[in-house]
Amino acid sequence: MSVHGPIPILRIGSTLLVSIQLELRDAVADAFQADVLSAIEKRGTTGLVVDISGLDMVDTYVARILAETGRMAKLMGTSTVLVGMRPEVAATLVRMGYGMEGVRTALDLDAGLALLGHVIAQRK
Amino acid sequence: MIQVGATHQIPIENADDIIRVRRRVRDIAEVKKFDSFATAAITTATSELARNALVHGGKGIACIEEVTDGYRLGIRIVFEDHGPGIDDIPRVLAGGYTTARSMGLGLSGSKRLVDDFELESTPGAGTKVTVTKWKRF
Amino acid sequence: MDHRKYMTILKLDDAAIASRRAFFSISDDDLARLASLRPLAEKVTDAIVEGFYALLLGHPETRKFFSDEATIRRVKRTQREYFMGLFSGRCDLAYVEDRLRVGAMHERIGLAPTWYLGAYRQYLQLIRDHFDAEIKDPAQSREAFFSVQRIVFFDVALAIDTYIAANLEALGRHQAAIRELSTPVIRVHDRVLLLPLIGAVDSHRAQQIMESVLTHVVEAQARCIIIDIAGVPVVDTRVADHLLKTAAAVRLLGAEVVLTGITAQVARTMVQLGLDVSSMHTVSRLSDGIELALGMVGKSITNKGS
Repeated sequence: MSVHGPIPILRIGSTLLVSIQLELRDAVADAFQADVLSAIEKRGTTGLVVDISGLDMVDTYVARILAETGRMAKLMGTSTVLVGMRPEVAATLVRMGYGMEGVRTALDLDAGLALLGHVIAQRK
Repeated sequence: MIQVGATHQIPIENADDIIRVRRRVRDIAEVKKFDSFATAAITTATSELARNALVHGGKGIACIEEVTDGYRLGIRIVFEDHGPGIDDIPRVLAGGYTTARSMGLGLSGSKRLVDDFELESTPGAGTKVTVTKWKRF
Repeated sequence: MDHRKYMTILKLDDAAIASRRAFFSISDDDLARLASLRPLAEKVTDAIVEGFYALLLGHPETRKFFSDEATIRRVKRTQREYFMGLFSGRCDLAYVEDRLRVGAMHERIGLAPTWYLGAYRQYLQLIRDHFDAEIKDPAQSREAFFSVQRIVFFDVALAIDTYIAANLEALGRHQAAIRELSTPVIRVHDRVLLLPLIGAVDSHRAQQIMESVLTHVVEAQARCIIIDIAGVPVVDTRVADHLLKTAAAVRLLGAEVVLTGITAQVARTMVQLGLDVSSMHTVSRLSDGIELALGMVGKSITNKGS
């Protein structure tokens, strides 16, 4: 699977798993979105898990990229879940008044995969 | 009476500078032992305001100051740009300025993340935002 | 706290001290005049210290700080040194360190600003009276008094700053302890937490509650947190707003909030205010909330033997 940006994309069955472990400078965030969409387009995926446990800061730019990616993936038939959000990131987003509406979240990978399983089953 | 200790000036001329400024703020917060919530708050506000200076101001400069009021430690950051400025400050701060919605979100959001917030803007001349985060006892 | 720590906390370096000196109008002439008054000071020091402590020992509120003879003797000795220090002709780092030693001692005894402000007033009066008696030329006596007054006020400022610094440090420690105690998050079951909120919730406490809740949810990998508000006396728009923000943040993490302890009065208030609490599950009784939460992790409470 060709990836152009520095964030690796793994596949587990028909689910993509992306773990963001670096600081998201604009170019990296844009590459992340492009790579994910490209990966979804290439094979039939039904689920996307984005692990943001490595992010100690999510500003409105990053939040927008994540929410957008989720919406774009949905158009291509893929359900998305964000996992591993840090307490201080959740607190900051809520204080800013940035709701991240329409974004599914779960505490960890297990919960995320379980949630996706549930969502995908319901879609069928 | 605010006393200023070390100061750090960082130009904001491209997207990578946003990271540079917020990294410096995060490092200072960590050294001064701000808790993780306060660090995330000031780092995020920094990112928003630096981005505003770049995107809406064309380019700008961030001046980070380590301050104290005699009892508490704090971090104060001044974001200055010589862009078009803001003509309806209250509307922007309320987040209702639709044509520059992203700027409004960043400004009003940042205001809620910091302890002290000052905004000066002259249409045609530029914008100056000063924020301060104090370390909780 | 010893005086060296105060030097650090109050950030008293050469520049800061020079700035304070300027603000209290202590000129080089003043310092020279004070130095030249040393012989006079030596002459009146005993009388002044006695007069000073007569006030403190004669007043019930302040007498208790000087309970035993040993303390009184020690303090009088220190006071004599302090008085002579006014005429050192210096107002620098070394001078300030000396003064802080006195402040630290008073703080250790627990003497509040009211009392030592009153005492300083007495001090200045005694100095004025003795100078008037000893210095024949009224203009000279006046100048001498003003020089002393300037440096005494410089000292008073230091004493008050020391007192505040010591109290803020204690306050910080107490606040940290209160933060720990006021949000006791309990693990009810695997992945189910409970937070019984007791007492008023102001914006300061609300922020601390949100941070504590979020930290615990992630640490325990909780699926759900039950927040019981039966112990919160007033639930108005502001409190509801705080709770909603916390619930929104918990949901962002991927967990759920069950709000319990909702009385008829609170339910009435919430609806009348048009509050949207759809982001939380809400029930009246804590027991119902616990059952609801357990259900979320696939558990239920059943009768024994069934």
